[in-house]
Amino acid sequence: MKRRGALKTLASAAVALPLLRVELRADELPADQVFVLRDVAATVLPSAIGSKGQNDAVDNFLRWIREYKEGVALSHGYGEPRLVKSGPTPAPGYTKQLVALQQAAQARGGRFGTLSLEMRRQLLDDAFKAADVRTLPGRPDGKHVVADLMAHYFRSSAANDLCYDARIGRNTYRAIRVTTVRPPALGRK
Amino acid sequence: MAVHESDVCVIGGGITAVMLIERLAQLKPGLRITVVEAGRSIFDRENRPTYHRRAIEYGEHPWHGDYIEDQTAKGWISMTMAVGGQALHWGGACNRFSEEDLRLRSMYGLSTDWPITWTELEKYYVQAEHRLNVAGDPSPYAEDRRSAPYSQPAMPLSYNLQTLKKWAEQSGLKFSPLPMSRNVTAPADGRGQCGLYDTCGDVCPTGARYSPDYTYQQLIAARKVTLHDRMLIRKLVLADGSDRIVAAQGYHQDRPNDVTDYRAKWFVLASGQCWSPHLLLLSANARFPNGLANRSGTVGRYMNGHKFISAQAMIDEQTFPGQNMTHSLISREHFRCAPGAPFVRHDTRVWESSAGKEPRLRAADGRLLLGDELLDEWRSRATRGSSVRLRAYYDSHPSADSRLTLDPSSTNRYGDPMPKIDRQLDAAATAREAATLAHCTSVFERMAKASNGRLTGAPTVSDYWDHPAGGCRMGTDPASSVCDSYGRTHDHENLYVIGAPTLPTGGCTNGTLTFVAVSLRSADRIAEGL
Repeated sequence: MKRRGALKTLASAAVALPLLRVELRADELPADQVFVLRDVAATVLPSAIGSKGQNDAVDNFLRWIREYKEGVALSHGYGEPRLVKSGPTPAPGYTKQLVALQQAAQARGGRFGTLSLEMRRQLLDDAFKAADVRTLPGRPDGKHVVADLMAHYFRSSAANDLCYDARIGRNTYRAIRVTTVRPPALGRK
Repeated sequence: MAVHESDVCVIGGGITAVMLIERLAQLKPGLRITVVEAGRSIFDRENRPTYHRRAIEYGEHPWHGDYIEDQTAKGWISMTMAVGGQALHWGGACNRFSEEDLRLRSMYGLSTDWPITWTELEKYYVQAEHRLNVAGDPSPYAEDRRSAPYSQPAMPLSYNLQTLKKWAEQSGLKFSPLPMSRNVTAPADGRGQCGLYDTCGDVCPTGARYSPDYTYQQLIAARKVTLHDRMLIRKLVLADGSDRIVAAQGYHQDRPNDVTDYRAKWFVLASGQCWSPHLLLLSANARFPNGLANRSGTVGRYMNGHKFISAQAMIDEQTFPGQNMTHSLISREHFRCAPGAPFVRHDTRVWESSAGKEPRLRAADGRLLLGDELLDEWRSRATRGSSVRLRAYYDSHPSADSRLTLDPSSTNRYGDPMPKIDRQLDAAATAREAATLAHCTSVFERMAKASNGRLTGAPTVSDYWDHPAGGCRMGTDPASSVCDSYGRTHDHENLYVIGAPTLPTGGCTNGTLTFVAVSLRSADRIAEGL
């Protein structure tokens, strides 16, 4: 109930935000859409990381959006190299998708997080199909903001650790000796 | 026209060039050495932790601008053209070839022999391993004798690789840690210690995996070499009335109309298997209408490397993907082939893997998975046994028609035709392709049997040749080779070709250590003649 109350307060604040809004950069989401994203995150990210972990995951994703660079050469690959550059920032598309998701939720009776799980699933399923999202992207690819949020978290080193309940620390700094033993469970030091 | 003079002009700034330059500078202090590289210098090592992060998060290439858009080749496997070359982002694998690679003709009646003895090459393997600070253990196979130990003990096996080693050895093959050019035990040579970021093939944030840019910077700071980067050599020029090379003509990327004449007593072509034969062919003139160093007609021929067979296995033992995915196990069991037996030679490699154990958006019935559902479904697959990646690089002998040619349909800004590489097996290698696949499949199946394992699909043959080499092959007969065993071209007494292009055949394991070893041998010979 506490959490629901807090979300209600945040929702009211978000409604008031347009009056206070300053010019947004093209690579930022408006505050009201960030609110929607946090609301959706509670459904699409695992409960095991708690609401703080889910908010942190959203913050990391927002940072990813802010720090996105356009026109940068992507990995050439090896074996069959080709030059591919990053496309335009996905932020404007994300904003439209979040607005659409919010409107679709309201048409079904309210804020996304208040709908039944099956209704939320249906909304996202429809949105993903419309965006041609078939699988979890290897990393965010700009097709749909929610799939990209999920990819950003579930493809992370932290999610890998959570899946295996083990301190693996993939692609992070580690002393070599740490990797020579079975990784300890997350609850253990 | 600008003129730049030196004692030795090295064309190409990759790993073999820097190893040769370092050796020459040691042997002949005060020698004026210039290295000319078409690509740019990327020396911003302080940014590599950021590039590492961005490579993971955004898929960005961590070596900014390491390519020249109009300097491309059909059939190549890497676009990188920069100071340091492809070794800026190699994995650091440092396996030796074996004596059989040097004696294919005399032992098996196949392909050709190298004009170097194993004892001679082994000396230079030791030196190369020392310079690259290779971490390795002695091979469990007695035939792999060494005359000196590695600089460091092997990279310790991760828990995953320890588990996989126990599994794989039930097949009867003996495995050992892949020797790696990484600072495992301590920082060394101005590079940091390994922090297991596990992104060696992209970028190493600490510099623990050997990277030639460090050595270039050290040599430049010590004034042992002059580096001219972003300077494309388009032509080698002969002296009047002689077959000696008198100049290399360079064009700077920012001044495409200005020619710089690089004059030197000795020229060393160190531009790798693609651009070395390409420059020789481009440098054709009235006396050498088929290209320099090409009286034999073998420049651009016998392009080699090796093909590989890959498979995935599933086993019951549990591993934890992400511990050290760039390290692997190697078995040299099939480096040897008994004379008279059906010929097949390959290494056998084992990596940890997460194939089939990645998170999925949908359940098997197509239902969208959300939050806990997704995690639960992922966990149910991931924590039930392990996925294992298997590979065998196999001996793939090139035919004379395995070629690099000039492709008039693709030109750079100067109108120079770009290279086109089309690798071809010789007749005997073509005839044994099916048997090689069957053999490697049986080896993988034998390995997979342990721990209730199984291959998850039929092993597949690569559609490209890895660790490419050849195009300026060494030999004793000037009628059938480009250069002698030291890389000195038969046709031009002051022109050497070093490293990968000189290899007659590409072996059946990673090639870089061998490219470096033969280049160090070239350095010794060049120094003797100075």
